[in-house]
Amino acid sequence: MNLSHEFGSALVVCFAAIFTGNILLTTFLGMCSFLSVSREVKTAVGLGAAVVFVMTCTTILNWAMYWLVLVPLQIEFYRFILFIIVIAAFVQFIEMVIERYSPPLYYSLGIFLPLITVNCAILGAALFMVIRKYTFLETIGYGFGSGAGWMLAIVAMAGIRQKLAVNRIPKGLQGPGITLIIAGLMALGFIGFTGVLQAQ
Amino acid sequence: MSPAQPKSTARSVTLDALWYSNPIFRQILGICSTLAVTNLVLNTLVMCVALTIVTGLSSWTVSLLRNAMPRNIRMMVETLIMAFYVIIVDIALRAYWPEMSRNLGPFVGLIITNCILMGRSEAFAISNPPGISLLDGLASGAGYSAVLLLISIVRELLGMGTLLGMPIPFFAGPHWDKWVIMVMPPGAFFMLAVAIWILRSLGSATEEKPS
Amino acid sequence: MKDKAWYPVLFMFLVTAIPTALLIGLSQYTRARIQANTQISFEKAVLCAVAPDSAPTLRGMALHQRFLAVINTNISAAAGAYRLMDGATVKAYAIPFAGKGFWATIKGVIAIAPDKTTVLGFQIYEQSETPGLGAEIAQPWFGKQFQGKTLAAGVAPIIFRRKGEPLGPHDVEAVTGGTQTSVRLERLLNDAVATWRAALINARTAP
Repeated sequence: MNLSHEFGSALVVCFAAIFTGNILLTTFLGMCSFLSVSREVKTAVGLGAAVVFVMTCTTILNWAMYWLVLVPLQIEFYRFILFIIVIAAFVQFIEMVIERYSPPLYYSLGIFLPLITVNCAILGAALFMVIRKYTFLETIGYGFGSGAGWMLAIVAMAGIRQKLAVNRIPKGLQGPGITLIIAGLMALGFIGFTGVLQAQ
Repeated sequence: MSPAQPKSTARSVTLDALWYSNPIFRQILGICSTLAVTNLVLNTLVMCVALTIVTGLSSWTVSLLRNAMPRNIRMMVETLIMAFYVIIVDIALRAYWPEMSRNLGPFVGLIITNCILMGRSEAFAISNPPGISLLDGLASGAGYSAVLLLISIVRELLGMGTLLGMPIPFFAGPHWDKWVIMVMPPGAFFMLAVAIWILRSLGSATEEKPS
Repeated sequence: MKDKAWYPVLFMFLVTAIPTALLIGLSQYTRARIQANTQISFEKAVLCAVAPDSAPTLRGMALHQRFLAVINTNISAAAGAYRLMDGATVKAYAIPFAGKGFWATIKGVIAIAPDKTTVLGFQIYEQSETPGLGAEIAQPWFGKQFQGKTLAAGVAPIIFRRKGEPLGPHDVEAVTGGTQTSVRLERLLNDAVATWRAALINARTAP
């Protein structure tokens, strides 16, 4: 496969991961932090940015781990444990680096990092990458796209919820209930993107 | 929350997990890993059974090891135990029910990150005897499963006119226009919101009744 | 003993090593079975495609025996197709096709009659498309519509049409709501069939 074809394929995967196959709105991954951190746009942007970074890097690392280590040794089943270890170690490492080199960034972003370790979207992205047998370039596109899609969803949700803060919502729906309905409407909206990708 | 009990009896543990602290509509925990498969009752059933067994066995194992476990590596050990049971389920499905394994995709593996498992290990199993920890794990899984099965029944019935793959008289017939949205992701969001709404309203109504 | 520095390390090692050993054992034990499952699902698809009305309800070893009994696996002699034999006569050609669907690989089999134009059956045996939408290609209703259709000449032997459009002898109805899946399936199906037809012609005109 020539390089331009590969790049094109990676771009399609990236686009699909953000819009048509959004990891949160289509495969429901990363809901816990989505429901709890989506109240203010500022915090949502912070968490979202951190997720993009961690997801891109860890998906690439996990791709390497899977295809270069696990498959040759025929222990593919180990990927569940190995991916979690890679993600946790990476987040720990990043936390140390940020704390050392940029205390202001650490104070604004640092609290999100432990939240990311338990974010099932990160592990989910790695597992999907394995199932769909993405190539290296496609994995970069997919990792970045998934993170960006998740960030887009949480920022949009925060914006909507900020506007809703003064509305009267039925008691049973307050909090997670109304958030889920908004998420459903967003998911509906995103389905409209499906027709955009006619090429390829 | 739950009515005051002096210590954890089997009854209080079960009631707690099934209603008062139900993982889904009370704590809103662990919905990620199963919501995606709720468009078919059979897939949901398999996922829920898998999750209940894994939660029960992990809680039981953590409880067995609770006295030997060093405090500072506690979470890593709990994660390893959960991963161990999930991998067994994944391999077993792949070998003995490959079609279901393909349908469930990565969601079996995602049981590991399901907050319920870690939640029960940390909140209960680490400080309780093995027998009751096993019950607590199984009951939490059951509470989780009950709500998700309800959602999946509505989704499959309205969206495809079948239940467990078998056509249902009115819904599979020509007079029922299948609600395709129920089969798609937005349907899951809406159904979960409605389920939470109904169950929470029911819950607060019974709790506010004067004793 | 819990306070010694080496205790956590030992504990961690044991908690990792013992389960890992068990899992490696389980993995090796089921490896052969998992590979057999893949092979069996392919063979089942071939048998269902060539004879859709008398679809075998055999499983496992019995299915494998039946496959070996009636299918000629010398595919290089038929340009890559499996042949359903009745004695020495060819009753059907089964052409496997595989390629990237919308999410992951789609694999299936299409069966053509000896006249090399009429379609006998169609079966998907591996797909990871969206349930209820793209995954409908694996449902019986989708495969059934291929029966009796004829292959058009050229590079697009089968044409997928939108729901509601009139269907000609070479047309089938695509999956509503599964546009991407249908588009990709159409392409990889036609690639496989057209390649096979071209290879047959080459084989016939080869010296």
